[in-house]
Amino acid sequence: MPYFIHIATVLCIYAILAQSLNVILGLGRALNLAHVASFALGAYSMALWASPTNSGIVIPMLISIGVCGTFSLILGWISLRLTSDYFAIGTLAFAALISALLINWRSFTNGVLGIPGIPRPTIFGYDTNNEVFFLILCAAVSLIIQILIWLVFRSGFARQLRAVGERPTSAAAMGIDRRAVLSAAFALSSCAAGIAGVLFAMLLSYIDPSSFMLAEMIVLFTMVVVGRPGSFWGCLGAVLVVVLIPEALRFLKVPYCLDPLPSCFEPIASSVLGQVRQLLNALMLFAVVWLGRRQLFPKERIC
Amino acid sequence: MLAGEESRPLAITVSDLCWEFEGLKVINGLSLNVHVGESVGIIGPNGSGKTSLFNCLSGFSTPKSGSISLNGRDVTALTSEHRARLGLGRVFQNSGIFRDMTVLENLQVAMESSYSWLTTLLPWNNRSKQIRTAAHAKLTEIGLGDKAHQRASVLSGGQLRVLEIARALAFGSQVLLLDEPTAGVAPKMRIEVATLLQGLISSGKTVLVIEHDLAFIQQFCNRMVVIDSGRVVLDGPTAEIRGNPLLREIYFGSGVA
Repeated sequence: MPYFIHIATVLCIYAILAQSLNVILGLGRALNLAHVASFALGAYSMALWASPTNSGIVIPMLISIGVCGTFSLILGWISLRLTSDYFAIGTLAFAALISALLINWRSFTNGVLGIPGIPRPTIFGYDTNNEVFFLILCAAVSLIIQILIWLVFRSGFARQLRAVGERPTSAAAMGIDRRAVLSAAFALSSCAAGIAGVLFAMLLSYIDPSSFMLAEMIVLFTMVVVGRPGSFWGCLGAVLVVVLIPEALRFLKVPYCLDPLPSCFEPIASSVLGQVRQLLNALMLFAVVWLGRRQLFPKERIC
Repeated sequence: MLAGEESRPLAITVSDLCWEFEGLKVINGLSLNVHVGESVGIIGPNGSGKTSLFNCLSGFSTPKSGSISLNGRDVTALTSEHRARLGLGRVFQNSGIFRDMTVLENLQVAMESSYSWLTTLLPWNNRSKQIRTAAHAKLTEIGLGDKAHQRASVLSGGQLRVLEIARALAFGSQVLLLDEPTAGVAPKMRIEVATLLQGLISSGKTVLVIEHDLAFIQQFCNRMVVIDSGRVVLDGPTAEIRGNPLLREIYFGSGVA
């Protein structure tokens, strides 16, 4: 049972991360590889500033929103001078910068050893060290953010973002400021990722830089692409698929003794489960990109 | 310059414009004045710098020297977004319609473009509903009402053109640059495009249109400008230019007498 509660909590956090990436990647068609850096900043600002003071949940979230908002504005200010592929490389530099800081600034971030003992808050008298209460907390936060992003998807702002993403020249010709619109979208998605980071730090009560590497970015990327970029419900469905299918492997029994015929079936050893997960993610991403290549990579690519 | 036009204010002033592409002088000292409410047909052989002129006017290309004014204001240093907000609309040679949006959304986004991103983000304004209704009415007017909720990629070439012109008007442009509005459009839709253009001109908008079809220009434009090698070589009332032997030489080649 605790296992299922843990998976549900992870789902809530991933739903925030993937949906906020969907705003940038799906609507704005900007491949922001620094999304995972916002996630890291949220988690580390929780661990570094909020946890020593044990200040509940509102203050850590406000701090991480402030940190991620500032980060996204700097990121946008610099990287939005570039377009398409060059933009993606620019954001990759930011992602590399943040992970290098987390690893090497030992006096501040404790390096690869990470930061243990991140406390969970008590909300309205409910101690979220109880996994069920923590799940409810994550679900509530996730729901609020999903509703906010849903409103964004339905707004005129989403149309401007899609216009800028699809045809920057046409958008400019009708007076839409690409940098202003994309910067705003960055700030929005970065703050949401920061909140996901706060929840993630509370969930594990220990964070280290390995959770915020580029591999994590690829998982998020897979979620958005599998759900069809720019589709709100598709993204949520893809979060379910990408998280649950590898988890299902735990229960799958594979033939173990192959000589001469499979004679006994055993679960996959936990030591290879991680690799199998990555393989599965790669296959899923490949299949979706192959099947949807006409939509994802249209022949006429303008600017 | 036509009689009576002099009294009107200038909509576009281009003076001594130069623009180079990889060392090639595409626009070479071009000067042009267009008054408010004029409809100017721009013709010239391929590669003579017509589209480059439009790119410089709408701010997608940065000129090497020279200046551009829009309604008396120097816009040479302004971005294309800024110029669009000052009332300059552009219809591209290759359709610039957002194909992943619905037909209706294409108009909506143009109508909303004058608002800042923050205003469009706020969910509690009533404006978006009004814009939606207005966009729907506009679509019915141009005969695309039944396609409102379909993706714009299903539209035919002519319908894309009509939608694009409507979209360029939807964000309130007073000066419209049309780059070959009838290229690749079947004769039947050509009439639709023509009707839309006629409406624009009679409503007092300033229209600059690049076109290869001389009959089309003669139908709409009271003034014709011939561009060759990045310069204005002929400029005057359409009927006069039409009979000019120089036009024949530039446009049809010297073999045609």
